[in-house]
Amino acid sequence: MDSLIAKADAIASVGKKRKIYHASSSKGSKKHDTTSDTTFHSVMKHTTVPKSFQNLPAKGDTPTYSHIANKKLRSELHRHTAQTARAQALLEEAEEMLLVDDAGRMEVEGEMEKTWRVGQNEIVKAAGLEAAKGRKEWKLDGGPYRSRYTRNGRHLAIVGKNGHAATFDWQTGTLHTELQLQETCRDITFLQDHTYFAVAQKKYVYIYDRDGVELHCLKSHIEPTRLEFLPYHWLLATVGNAGYLKYQDTSTGQLLVEHRTKMGACSAMTQNLHNAVIHLGHQNGCVTLWTPNLPHPAVQLLAHIGPVSSVSVDPSQGGRYMSTAGRDGTVKVWDCRNWKGAVREWSTRGSGDPEVEWSQRGSLAVASGGSVNVYNPPTIHTAMNTRASPPLYITHPITHRPLTSLRFAPFQDILTIGHGAGLSSILVPGSGEPNFDSAEADPFEGRKARSEREVKALLDKIQPDMITLDPEFIGSLAPPSKLTTSTTFDGKPPVDIPYSRLPRMERLKVSGKADTTEVVESGDEAVDSGEGDHGKKESREEREKRKMRGKGKSLKRYLRKQRKNVVDPTAVAIRAKLEKQREQKKREREVARNGGEAKKKRSALDRFKRTN
Amino acid sequence: MVKISVLQHAPEAHLPTRPGDPTPTSRNLNPLMHPFARARERTRALNAAKMDRMFAKPFVDALEGHIDAVEVLIRQPGSLTTIASGSWDGGLILHNLSTRKQIVKLPQAHKGKLSGLCFAEGERLLSCGVDRNVKLWAVGSGATDTPLNVFPGKSAFNSIDHHRSDPLFATASNTVQIWDETKSAPISNLTFPTSTETITSVRFNLSESSVLASIGSDRTFTLYDIRTGKAERRTIMQMRSNSLAWSPTFPTTVLLASEDHNLYTFDIRHMSTPTQIYKAHVAAVMSCDWSPTGLEFVSGGWDRTVRIWKEGQGHSPEVYHTKRMQRVTSSIFSADARYVLSGSDDGNVRIWKAKASDKLGVVTARERAAIEYRDSLKERWKVDAEVSRVARTRHIPKSVHQASKLKRTMLDAQRVKEERRRKHTRAGENIPKAERKKVVIAEQT
Repeated sequence: MDSLIAKADAIASVGKKRKIYHASSSKGSKKHDTTSDTTFHSVMKHTTVPKSFQNLPAKGDTPTYSHIANKKLRSELHRHTAQTARAQALLEEAEEMLLVDDAGRMEVEGEMEKTWRVGQNEIVKAAGLEAAKGRKEWKLDGGPYRSRYTRNGRHLAIVGKNGHAATFDWQTGTLHTELQLQETCRDITFLQDHTYFAVAQKKYVYIYDRDGVELHCLKSHIEPTRLEFLPYHWLLATVGNAGYLKYQDTSTGQLLVEHRTKMGACSAMTQNLHNAVIHLGHQNGCVTLWTPNLPHPAVQLLAHIGPVSSVSVDPSQGGRYMSTAGRDGTVKVWDCRNWKGAVREWSTRGSGDPEVEWSQRGSLAVASGGSVNVYNPPTIHTAMNTRASPPLYITHPITHRPLTSLRFAPFQDILTIGHGAGLSSILVPGSGEPNFDSAEADPFEGRKARSEREVKALLDKIQPDMITLDPEFIGSLAPPSKLTTSTTFDGKPPVDIPYSRLPRMERLKVSGKADTTEVVESGDEAVDSGEGDHGKKESREEREKRKMRGKGKSLKRYLRKQRKNVVDPTAVAIRAKLEKQREQKKREREVARNGGEAKKKRSALDRFKRTN
Repeated sequence: MVKISVLQHAPEAHLPTRPGDPTPTSRNLNPLMHPFARARERTRALNAAKMDRMFAKPFVDALEGHIDAVEVLIRQPGSLTTIASGSWDGGLILHNLSTRKQIVKLPQAHKGKLSGLCFAEGERLLSCGVDRNVKLWAVGSGATDTPLNVFPGKSAFNSIDHHRSDPLFATASNTVQIWDETKSAPISNLTFPTSTETITSVRFNLSESSVLASIGSDRTFTLYDIRTGKAERRTIMQMRSNSLAWSPTFPTTVLLASEDHNLYTFDIRHMSTPTQIYKAHVAAVMSCDWSPTGLEFVSGGWDRTVRIWKEGQGHSPEVYHTKRMQRVTSSIFSADARYVLSGSDDGNVRIWKAKASDKLGVVTARERAAIEYRDSLKERWKVDAEVSRVARTRHIPKSVHQASKLKRTMLDAQRVKEERRRKHTRAGENIPKAERKKVVIAEQT
């Protein structure tokens, strides 16, 4: 009966095919040649191999630790690598199933067709109904505008130079608040989500809630020009006309630290999303990288001749690339791991301050003069000797100068440009990440999910002193201690030993407390040298050698170690013994020289000598 | 012809279809989508370790009733709630753990110290004392103040243990005696030929039930077999042991609580070295008992602390203490391995949780999942300096702290002296001896 059912394939899996990942090995493929076996299929759904045997990594791929002597450690490492490989395999399998949406794109067929010839009208026509909503023009007066999206790309905050600020859900068109602040506003940023935002106003930074109620006036941030919020550290970083970079902890409310940049007013600021380092562009052409725990820039480089007008970091490569634009009309792309000159640079057309901005998938938008140009990733990262600009992807002219801000909407193919007459959003196919993660940022999250995320994020808040250029240092091996001393023991090659494990004398030597007073040479040395000096002058080596002879004798060593100013009975006895031995030797030598004439001429004083 | 496609999310795929439905979630496992994943996980691990310490409230209750030190504590086999305690004043109390009431109280079960207790078949209890009697009590429904039977002995008894299945029991005095429940005189005397010791404790093996182990005041550990009726082997240690417990899961493993502040597990097939030394007490260890799982054991010490050890991990046990708890003379695990009981000099039996931050009562599935996640986080980040510091740090009484400091200093000095001595002797003459090899002095058969 069972075989009949199996034949009929009644309970065989008809669900979607799962791609089962196997790292390599012909063995694995052989095993899965049985896919046509219906019985196998019908049974497979209801049986499982123990977890420890599932997806065992192939033998060849995993590193072997046979060189490690410690058995426990070795087995631990083996288990660890096996688990890592298994997790990796599962991850690759999962990615196939989880990533459902495809990124937007624009492709041309012939050589003669160019993507940059395609205008916004054409793109909007080709885009879907939902996507076409992204093309918008907001005609506003109140000076050049700046904008900022929330991390999930759902809400937009805009602020005009003359004090018009607003936040709204751009997809549904729900206006949260609109404020006429009646003074110069230079920047705006959302805090952890759309319920709070901070505005850099004429004198101070103000924090408002979603309904536009002024919650805080941060009086320690004076004349701010740019704001950045570090979401995982809950820090609001500001920089102002006075050139101070200040970090305010928005969860505790305390001003964490203020760094004096010593480079005057600063109007270019961005954060690296992957290591929370703040990048500042200065008036003198310098770009500096800051962390809260360093009072000086972690990196400082001269990027441009003349002021830096805009800085941006590429989020798609893990913060590896940075682009800067200067008033000298050039755009440069830098490799953040290696600051030896720009990877690529080109000059822009038009006058004014060029602006740069990277998108989630690595498209670089450059606004200069009266147009916005977008370049696509692989070419902007490849090194070039010439100053030729990379192939253009999309260009969009805007007549309302100046172009003051560029923002890509997260998880959308939208670029929002702030300019003199308001804002305009254009569609840039392929710029946004298609698959979001609900645990990080979800454009469709509800009220409950939002508040829950806020609490979770607060619990997971990272301490500000963990910000470093390399965020992977957490959980990696500690570097070897610097308090080591290179020491040689018994002629072995020098080894680095921590101070605490050095022998006592070595420790004293290292700390400069060792007693290095000279040991007083005993008389025998002088006697010996006086005696051996038979006319001929010895070479230096010979003298050294002779001097060393007899040094190794234990009694002499003992004497050498004794202090001469201490009368120690044993030392005195030994000294006497040595003296006697020396006399003996001398006598023997005399005998040898005088040919058996042992008798020495007796002196008158010899009668007082004690004989034994 | 230009192919254009612009990214758009279909709202119906990401919004609940009907009001009240859960919002669909989506995942992207690309590490670039999760910046600071490691740092955030570390923060969570640190929080987990801190929460663990915050909720560490191990003391559950104290069972009163004795007027002198609680010498012996035992649990009834096959019962989760019943335990019996015997005291120096000769009192015997049967407690119910869940109601925390006394089932039976016999204030004068023995004259003088009640030194040993064990349960026999059918709700009966055997007790022995320094009054040279073994008494059999009925503790079930027909409990009375008078014993069912009295077995008179020749000398004071120190310990008693019942055979796993047969109606036999063994007592320890200056010899080990095997008694039948139906006979008034011992059926056999077991003693090592050259032994002149006082036996302090005797225990039957739990699975090889005719094998019997004893410890004595002359620093010995002896194995007997009641089938051959003689002592099989004897081991002389550096210091005497105070308590003895057979592992419930590994029949060859035995745990000794020693006078030298340490506990030792031995494999009785290789008695020359202990399999593990457990060091943390700062005074003599007075009692020990295995968890029924065989993965942990509890020990009580003269230093007024109760410690819970993991089998095979010889350091940093969980440590419990209170201001009013005096020298801990007896300690056992409860039968469900969730609680630990300690009897001390102040006459109280205290109930502790075996895991200090355990939640008592109903734990929901989500709570259970959260607890397991926190445990795995702690396990994963235990090498992190701060996490391990939080997880490791315990507040201990000042006297214990000072004593441990002093002990460390003394041991350090000893080690340094040893090292210097070695340095100044001819090479190869003074070979360092492994700590495990120092424990056993001689083995005799």
